[in-house]
Amino acid sequence: MDTSTSLGNRELAVAKKRALDAAYFRKGIAVAALSSCMYALYTAFVTAGQLFGVWAGWFDAFAPSGLLAVFILPTIASGVNDVLSAVWATFFTAGQGKLADLGRCIASKPGVIVIAAAFIGGPIASAAYVIALSQAGTLAVPIAALNPAIGAVLARVLYRQPLSPRVVTGIVVCVVAGAMIGSAGLSGQASSGMTLGLGLALLAALCWGVEGCVGGRATCMIDPQIAINIRQLVSGVGNLCLVLPALTMACGEPLGQSYVFVAQALTDKSSVVFFACSGFAAYFSFMSWYRANSMCGTALGMAINGTYTFTAPLFTWIIVGLVLGFDGYALPSVAWVAAVVNLVGICLIAVNPLDMVKKDGDRDASA
Amino acid sequence: MLPLNYAMLDYFVYHDEACVDDVMADLAAEYASFAAFARPRMQEALMTAHKNGLIDETRFDLDAEGELRVYYRASAEQRKVIGAYLGRSH
Repeated sequence: MDTSTSLGNRELAVAKKRALDAAYFRKGIAVAALSSCMYALYTAFVTAGQLFGVWAGWFDAFAPSGLLAVFILPTIASGVNDVLSAVWATFFTAGQGKLADLGRCIASKPGVIVIAAAFIGGPIASAAYVIALSQAGTLAVPIAALNPAIGAVLARVLYRQPLSPRVVTGIVVCVVAGAMIGSAGLSGQASSGMTLGLGLALLAALCWGVEGCVGGRATCMIDPQIAINIRQLVSGVGNLCLVLPALTMACGEPLGQSYVFVAQALTDKSSVVFFACSGFAAYFSFMSWYRANSMCGTALGMAINGTYTFTAPLFTWIIVGLVLGFDGYALPSVAWVAAVVNLVGICLIAVNPLDMVKKDGDRDASA
Repeated sequence: MLPLNYAMLDYFVYHDEACVDDVMADLAAEYASFAAFARPRMQEALMTAHKNGLIDETRFDLDAEGELRVYYRASAEQRKVIGAYLGRSH
């Protein structure tokens, strides 16, 4: 073989391999960013949905600190969102011709892992988060945003994913950014249930840390579309068939009344359209989140997803405040500064120039 | 019949080294009708499996048409992990 031709092929192969790896890396980042934006839309629409129709009547009729307003209604909101999200997910699974694979995956070990992760991050965390939002307002958002740090540590322990001092520093910077937004005391919604709300937000963070780590790993085996279909089905059914009855009975309320609320919420045209939108956004957000965590690694995927500490209040302000005209959702200036700090943290996690140079050298050597 | 992603990983339990084209050629009889049975998507699935430590990247070159081929393999430990996920013993 001509030596010069062989050398040219090798250089071309190296160039194509670099391009493939770079495209994969960029796609992982883009998918993670999409998960953040979609999570922000989910938050905005689920907040908006509870301001219209039967929801407005319920929150006007019941005492803000009463058990119905604190536990039952937010759980119903979460359940309605997840059920509609599962409908969206199943619709797209069928459209992509993957329904048979859905059945096969549910019966497999990775499928069971996704079901377990979904139950922890779905019914438990979602209910905790919605109740936290109702009690602590948007202050719950940055607390719940501690989940990337928890997920990264778990990924290190369970799956030996790298967690260098640089990555740890980046995660700490991201958590500080979330705390900056929280310390600003975003307007409105502060209530007597603040402590309970913040405690439940922390529980949600723990659950999502587990889910992001375990679910992301399982998604390297299960197709993300199928994984998220399982996730939303488990979450929707779990919220409405397990968490709701448990909370209703714990609160001493009649079980039938809770399901009357569910039926009314699903048939109330003025609010259900917002839940249909939030369900669609939740479907895309969680699918992107699982996929990004498997493509980027838990630490980077969850850190980028964690930018919803900024995007969720931002999108809520735009949709609920500016578009729908409700007061009390404006962002303080520190939130914008925190967004920049968050980006610095993500860059610290994602980029190490020394590693990149080293990898290039390795590639040349192995080509 | 295994889900496509499972079948791709299962392939590495029984073969020493392969690129995406080898995997596709082996699975085509059963999975060619699947929407996800496309080279870019399957290449990405292999890269994700590699990223998560289920398979190792061994080498890369160009085929006769100048297309990049990245080769992967599963070590004995990785084969055990894949087998455990798929509920098999190897």
